Amino acid sequence: MSSSHETVATPETFTIPVGPLHVALEEPMYFKIDVSGETVNAVDINAGHVHRGIEYLTTKRTIFQNVILTERICSLCSNSHPESFAMAAETIAGLEVPERALYLRVIAGEVKRLASNLFNVAILAHLVGYETLFMHVMEVREIAQDIKESVFGNRMDLGAMCIGGVRYDVDDEIATLLTRELDRIEPEVDRIIDTYRTNGSILGRTRGVGVLKREDALACGVVGPVARASGIDYDVRMVAPYAAYDRLPMTVHTLVDGDVWSRAMIRLAEAKTAIELIRACLRDLPGGPTHLDDRPDIPRGEAIAKVEAPRGELVYYLKTNDNPEPERVKWRVPTFMNWDALKYMLTGAKIADIAIIVNSIDPCVSCTER
Amino acid sequence: MTRLPEDIESRLAAVAPAGVRFEKTTDGHGTTVAWLELADKDDLFPVGELLKEIGARLSMTTASAPPAPEEEEEEETEAAEGEEAAETPEKAPKLSFGGTALDGTALELAYHFDVGGDTLTVKAHVVQGGEIDSLTPLFRTADWGEREMMELYSLTVRHHPDPRRLFIDQGIDPAVFERLIPFSTLVNSASTKGLWEKVLNKKGGA
Repeated sequence: MSSSHETVATPETFTIPVGPLHVALEEPMYFKIDVSGETVNAVDINAGHVHRGIEYLTTKRTIFQNVILTERICSLCSNSHPESFAMAAETIAGLEVPERALYLRVIAGEVKRLASNLFNVAILAHLVGYETLFMHVMEVREIAQDIKESVFGNRMDLGAMCIGGVRYDVDDEIATLLTRELDRIEPEVDRIIDTYRTNGSILGRTRGVGVLKREDALACGVVGPVARASGIDYDVRMVAPYAAYDRLPMTVHTLVDGDVWSRAMIRLAEAKTAIELIRACLRDLPGGPTHLDDRPDIPRGEAIAKVEAPRGELVYYLKTNDNPEPERVKWRVPTFMNWDALKYMLTGAKIADIAIIVNSIDPCVSCTER
Repeated sequence: MTRLPEDIESRLAAVAPAGVRFEKTTDGHGTTVAWLELADKDDLFPVGELLKEIGARLSMTTASAPPAPEEEEEEETEAAEGEEAAETPEKAPKLSFGGTALDGTALELAYHFDVGGDTLTVKAHVVQGGEIDSLTPLFRTADWGEREMMELYSLTVRHHPDPRRLFIDQGIDPAVFERLIPFSTLVNSASTKGLWEKVLNKKGGA
């Protein structure tokens, strides 16, 4: 920490490396940060450490194999990738997904959102140095992990999506389990929200830190909780409804301050809404099949599909020809633009806050670099 | 939040004098997905300016090299429907809407814009090694997408403010999507037979 030693008279600027390892998460991203004393002047981002060429691989696999491959692009929003990919294929083939599958897609997506958002706010507590809270939030998130393991058989990759529907079903036993676990997690999430709203350690390190103004957020094209914490009322589930969201009690949460705290509060509010959405799905779940009977034929064509992943809008572009393999698959993950916003958030920030601010975009490197 | 305006087709046509092909579909929820193909790639920038004006967000860019129509496939069609196949001229490469020869090396650049939940995809065709104007001066979000296009294909994006590599290291030859790269080269012989050969060569050389 800098002190007021009189020997250091001239204000000098330095470039310090942050990363590529352990900036906030165990994923590599390298920041070259230009500082004056303790204050950040400018940021340059050097990416590509985990570039795996998955976009190329998608054109070497069949459309059906790609449902499996796209789920492995990222762990935290693993469900959103095959969902969006399947939606693009369904659009090309003009498939009508069974009603029950639409609700089951929402359940899978919202369980993932619940776990993902809790994970991010847990890491925030860890970076603030409040380890007890970190461990508590992770323990609560463990309930969501248990739900995933019990319902889907996996803690991260659910394997729930297929072209034309879903690959799992909710029977009475699973519905009872889901309701019981949601009853357990909901009061815990409420208490966590209270803590983040009132706790001095959290507020002191997050209020007014890493501010992204609304106009800058619009210029950067940020999405998801990062956009909504800067007052941009945009949620794919609302503006371009898919699955069963148009029939569910959807609430879009927005805040105006655009700081680290606002982004955390949006994520917590959305975790709470996720619980409400899952409950509504269980209540209204229609009968019928969970997927189309035959493996559908995907003709030549192209389509765009978007979903609201835990981190925001995820877009897929799929182009098919007469081969079983797609001609081109392209996707853009929410984090892709959110990195750019870090330049605004970090400028003028203190070195000690860099990790907290980087974590506040809920970065996903494996998603960004593919 | 504003959606795609009703008169978008005429407004787009007005700023792209070389001609456009436009189509759109609207789903049951009122979400519109529109596609615009430019006859002239140089109309991209004025189209971008118009979209900026109506509040669009550039949400993704896709570059691809559509394969040339396969010959085997034509034979199949000939066998099935002889009369129709006979009408199509032989051997002349298929042309894009704007007249770019689709010979398997020409690039199709797609710019996907979001307008309050609606999507408009603007497409332009560029020959291999060709140039296209950068949209980064209009949309910050074009920056990374255009840098990625440049490292995947032989393409120059004109007036890009920061045309460095994005993900792929400077040490790697450009246009990686236009070449077959053996797996052992890709991972620098960190596994597979290549590693063993490297070890043996070193041993023999020492």
